[in-house]
Amino acid sequence: MRAISRVWVAVACTIAAVCHAQSPKPLTVWGLASGPDSKGLEAVIAEFERRNPDLRIKSTKMGSGDMNPQKLMTAIVGNVPPDVIAQDRFALSDWASRGAFRPLDDLIARDHDKDPLCPKPDQYYPAAWQETQYEGKTYGIPTGADDRILYWNRGIFRRHADELRKAGLDPERAPRTWTELLAYGKILTERDKRGNMTVAGFIPNFGNSWLYLYSFQMNASFMSADGKKCTLYSPQAEEALKFMVKGYEQLGGYDEAQKFQSGFLANENDAFIVGKVAMKIDGDWIMMSLSRYAPDLDFGVAPPPVPDDRYNKKGAFANEKDTFVTWIGGFSYAIPAGAKNVEGAWRFIKFFTSTEARLIEARAQANYERSRGRVHIPRIQGQREANAAYLKEFTPKNPNFAAALAMHVKLADVGRIRPPTMVGQTLWSEHVKALETACKLEKSPKDALLISQAAVQRDLDAHLRYETLKPFDFRPPAAVIIGLLVLLAIWSVWKFKSLKLGRLERQEAKWGYLLISPWLIGFMVFTFGPMMASLLMSFTQYNALSEARAVGFGNYAEMLSGDRESVLKAFGNVFYLTGIGVPLGIVTGLAVALLLNQAFKGIRVYRTIFYMPSIVPAIASAVLWSWVLSGDPNKGLVNSLWQNTLTPWLGVSPPGWFTVADWAKPSLIMMGVWGAGGGMILWLAGLKGVPAQLYEAAHIDGANGWQQFWKVTLPMLSPIVFFNCVTGLISAVQEFDRIWVFMGADTGLAGPSDSLLTPVVHLFQQGFRFFKLGYASALAWVVFFVILALTLIQWRLKDRWVYVEADK
Amino acid sequence: MPVPWTAALATITFWLGALIGLRGLYGLLRAWMEPQLRSGLSGSAVMLGVGTAALLASAALFPTAGIGLPLVWPVLPIQLWMATVCGICVVNGLVGMLLKKGFSNPLTILYWLVAGVVCFLLPRANPVPFKLLSGHIMLGVPGALALAGLAVLAVLCMSYAEKSAKSSSLLKGMAIQLALLAGTLVFGLPFLFLLVTSFKEDKDMSSPNGIIWVPRVEQTAPVMNPNHPYYEAKYKGIKVQADLEQVRPDGTLSLRIAHPLFFGGFTFIIPRDQAKEIPRQMPLVTADLRGQKVEGVVFEEMPDGSQDVELRSPAAVKGQRHLFPPKATEKVRPVSLRWKNYFEALEYLPPEAQYGWTYLRNTLWLVVMNVLGALVSCSLVAYAFARLRFPGREALFKVMLSTMMLPAAVTLLPQFLIFRQFGWIDTLKPMWVTSWFAAAFNVFMLRQFFQQVPYELEDAAKIDGCTYLRSLWSVMLPQVKPALAVIAIMTFLGAWNNFMGPLVYSSSPETLPISYAVQLFNGDRNGDPGLLMAFVTMSLVPVIALFAFAQRFFIEGAALSGFGGR
Repeated sequence: MRAISRVWVAVACTIAAVCHAQSPKPLTVWGLASGPDSKGLEAVIAEFERRNPDLRIKSTKMGSGDMNPQKLMTAIVGNVPPDVIAQDRFALSDWASRGAFRPLDDLIARDHDKDPLCPKPDQYYPAAWQETQYEGKTYGIPTGADDRILYWNRGIFRRHADELRKAGLDPERAPRTWTELLAYGKILTERDKRGNMTVAGFIPNFGNSWLYLYSFQMNASFMSADGKKCTLYSPQAEEALKFMVKGYEQLGGYDEAQKFQSGFLANENDAFIVGKVAMKIDGDWIMMSLSRYAPDLDFGVAPPPVPDDRYNKKGAFANEKDTFVTWIGGFSYAIPAGAKNVEGAWRFIKFFTSTEARLIEARAQANYERSRGRVHIPRIQGQREANAAYLKEFTPKNPNFAAALAMHVKLADVGRIRPPTMVGQTLWSEHVKALETACKLEKSPKDALLISQAAVQRDLDAHLRYETLKPFDFRPPAAVIIGLLVLLAIWSVWKFKSLKLGRLERQEAKWGYLLISPWLIGFMVFTFGPMMASLLMSFTQYNALSEARAVGFGNYAEMLSGDRESVLKAFGNVFYLTGIGVPLGIVTGLAVALLLNQAFKGIRVYRTIFYMPSIVPAIASAVLWSWVLSGDPNKGLVNSLWQNTLTPWLGVSPPGWFTVADWAKPSLIMMGVWGAGGGMILWLAGLKGVPAQLYEAAHIDGANGWQQFWKVTLPMLSPIVFFNCVTGLISAVQEFDRIWVFMGADTGLAGPSDSLLTPVVHLFQQGFRFFKLGYASALAWVVFFVILALTLIQWRLKDRWVYVEADK
Repeated sequence: MPVPWTAALATITFWLGALIGLRGLYGLLRAWMEPQLRSGLSGSAVMLGVGTAALLASAALFPTAGIGLPLVWPVLPIQLWMATVCGICVVNGLVGMLLKKGFSNPLTILYWLVAGVVCFLLPRANPVPFKLLSGHIMLGVPGALALAGLAVLAVLCMSYAEKSAKSSSLLKGMAIQLALLAGTLVFGLPFLFLLVTSFKEDKDMSSPNGIIWVPRVEQTAPVMNPNHPYYEAKYKGIKVQADLEQVRPDGTLSLRIAHPLFFGGFTFIIPRDQAKEIPRQMPLVTADLRGQKVEGVVFEEMPDGSQDVELRSPAAVKGQRHLFPPKATEKVRPVSLRWKNYFEALEYLPPEAQYGWTYLRNTLWLVVMNVLGALVSCSLVAYAFARLRFPGREALFKVMLSTMMLPAAVTLLPQFLIFRQFGWIDTLKPMWVTSWFAAAFNVFMLRQFFQQVPYELEDAAKIDGCTYLRSLWSVMLPQVKPALAVIAIMTFLGAWNNFMGPLVYSSSPETLPISYAVQLFNGDRNGDPGLLMAFVTMSLVPVIALFAFAQRFFIEGAALSGFGGR
């Protein structure tokens, strides 16, 4: 026997070894922009695999875009991280502070002298390298260095040459100061007869500038030097935001611009290419699409216009060295903590960031573009050597593009970066929020910035506080709970014994316990246990990577103080959605049911049709409705009808639906009403249950159909009305799937300015995007109690207005 | 755009006039049909007169060419709408109070007070100006006559239906059918939009003159062009179609992939004998050749936009080649469905998805495991709670019922940590294992069904010496088949639609189910409505098919659980 099993083991080992040797190990990489036209990347991957036959790159794209922190964090926490991640540099320190990435310094030190490919700090622009540092350690190796410059459409400038000259502006050059930028923007904006925008001169946040660029130009810094204070609000940043607000005001408001933008398309129909936007500030990535889709476009480039004082070196800028500055960002390769193949990952990073690989990529891409009759324009790298080689080899013949490439490379030297901070993600989301609320004139720029600053500061304080907190000891409370359970069990057993059951009864009882055991076990493991864990977690600060620390009732206090606005907003949205959505749903369902109840032909067919929307999966129906309610009147079903009927009749232009904060909730309600036809099944059952003699009696008393409905039908149906109210309210609190479809990919907002935020979405974001498990657990309990309270209140109110048959 | 109040006044007069007039007409008709109602005749006549006068008066206020129906349109923010509704409530309450002399119920006073306060406070809390917009519906004389005729006809139908209401006449049935048809249109339109969009070509997606409802498709024909050969070959084990980029000095071919689209644009090198030359599908076009309309297939697209066309008809020119200048030809686009959207949607998926097969397999696996788990565990547990006597049964049952109130959100995070401990992240297990532990609602429902099974049946089985499991299997379960079907279907829907599960637990294409894939597809290919809608349609087909076959159980399930009432 033993000999045989040994043989088996040997054979198995051999097979395993052979398989192992033959099949290269997959190296999982997330966030590579691989796709139809990424020839260069493909070439680098092929070359890497040729040099490293033991590795095979598995490039996975989870989620749209690379800024899907929820997916990455879940994978890291769940111990299934990728080996390499292409990560936006600004969030590196955020991740690093949570221990999500592995420091690379030991690898750099090891290979510094041995491997010529090993990245060295002095090869990089200081700004790019600095962005990868956190607490003195290196967490990523920079790849691109995308800086922003101003692109302007000469054609549109010429079209308005006379007007521009009249205003004292030169139509042959780009604006250099903010005042000029606004003046040009105003003149270049065009509208049709109905007053709809057709060309926007300048949209402050179209392209890629956000508030950061304008703040950098004002020399504002968002964090204090020691990284312990958020200084999102400063007079300089306020000035920058005021400028953006002004920019939107002269376009007719933020929503107006947003609606205009919702009709923008990509690629050859890009808004700048087709001349819907006269000027925009954008990064170097757009050169590629410009050269591809509009090689003949007559455009110019300029450094982003700066504040007037800066340009004139006056006031605070009297001693300023750089007149023009820009914002520089970009990606880096990092290795997540717990990556299975660190050595392979490091080999990947070393090769991919080397000048050699950069040139392989650029050449392959250039060959490919050439074969399609296009010119390749490389992306700016964080590494100087690669840029120099690019300029030498790939400067385009077209003077416009050559100027653009040169401008981008030149400005990389005066690039400013977002401060490396452990709250990079929050800072980003909050800055977006401040920008939106201010531009929509909901708050003054100062207030908006102060509110967001406070939010970032809270997050920052929570991070800093972590060090000073005591570890949360789960053992005592867990011991108490388990002790209680044991006591309960002992008591049950004792009770059971003392019952003195007969043999048959005893056997029946045993079977009973056996048969309910699936539920009992499930209840203990998946319901009761998690509930208790969640209760305990709600008193901690915990991110699943480092140990939990006790904060007492801090999380609950946070809900009432710091995060109050979001929590209130979430519940406010719930009341809006139910307050209007549920009655509308009830009316729809009831109307359909009343009609069907009277029809005698085709009832099955109609029932099928009305019922069908309610079985469509929430995601599918949200995707469908995002098109049905598309803001673009040339595409969306509703707006297309609107544009051709209501607009000419009433002069009301169609709303932006999901793209505009005020209309997002009504849109969601409309979508819900579409699905509410399914509710008629309940109503039909209810209608069938109304005794016929009641109608007869009513008829004898001379009640007409309308009176019969109000006095007989409706009271008899009131239990269903009640039921619908409860379930509607409960499901609105937990609304999640449909809203996720409208989640802003890079803002992390649920609908425009969080207009669709619900408590469970908020909880999910806190839990899985920011991994504040403690705070999310506290939120979960509040949600639980709200649902409980609502249900109880509804039950209490029930006897007041629900008709219950007397004999029941 | 500010509106003179006269316009608003005229609008109200006009529409009120129209309403009163129609009501008068209705009264007249009713009186004419049923002699016992004659007393109302004079009143109706007066109403008709007043209505017509008001109509004429308002028309005089609008000196427009043709007949313009005035419309004033208040644009209120939501707060004002709510305040308006509350205001109407208050007025309604006051009128009721005056008529019924005094309050009947103290609670009613409270309602009015609340309504009044809300009505007062809402506009205060958020002062927003409201706007009036105005316009006309312009009608020519025939249009106006048709509209008037339609109104009269509707009134005629209504009065006739009212007259014969008791005998459930044909007309009433027709009116209801009409209403139902209108509803069907509203409810079905998004579906139609989905289907039509999924069959349209890209160029038909956007149109300023309303949605294009009739899909048209470019016709193509195979062409072998030696100048631009087209090859079929294997790339990374997948069959691809590719353009020739160049013949390399060593005789190998450098090919640029055209299909599948996920690899579109990639180039690769392959020995000549491993690539098979195949014809390329080129568009059919019509053009004007020396005053004669000809049809042909594009042989080659020239870089300057002109087209080298191989003519096909009429027979006289068949086989000839002719070079047409740019934009001189027109593509042949008969009414047809573009099925290619469906294939292309699948081609765009990453290779791990195996053209969506992986997603389908994952989803099916989840569905099967969930349904099986729910059926097995729920019948065991429900049977025990329904039929077996054991100490603590009632207490445990109450505990179980109370868990129905627990929102899933509370256990979401700890469950994630538990499954992480099991090492189940990025597997399908977290999405089905829990269903093997009996969901409370299903148990509750099934228990009620079990309780209705007569005890005699089971006793007979017991006398025959059956064990509990045996009697559950052969006596009880056959009696509650409909309930089981309802559970199965509801679990099916839950598993098919589960979105939060994969959102948390799936981290690689291999573990993606369809529901999440739809969302990712939406993020990736939002610019291609045709492909997106095709993908959504494909994700819906199984659900709709199941619904078609098991409609009865869906509807029973909805009635049992109230699930449809979202």
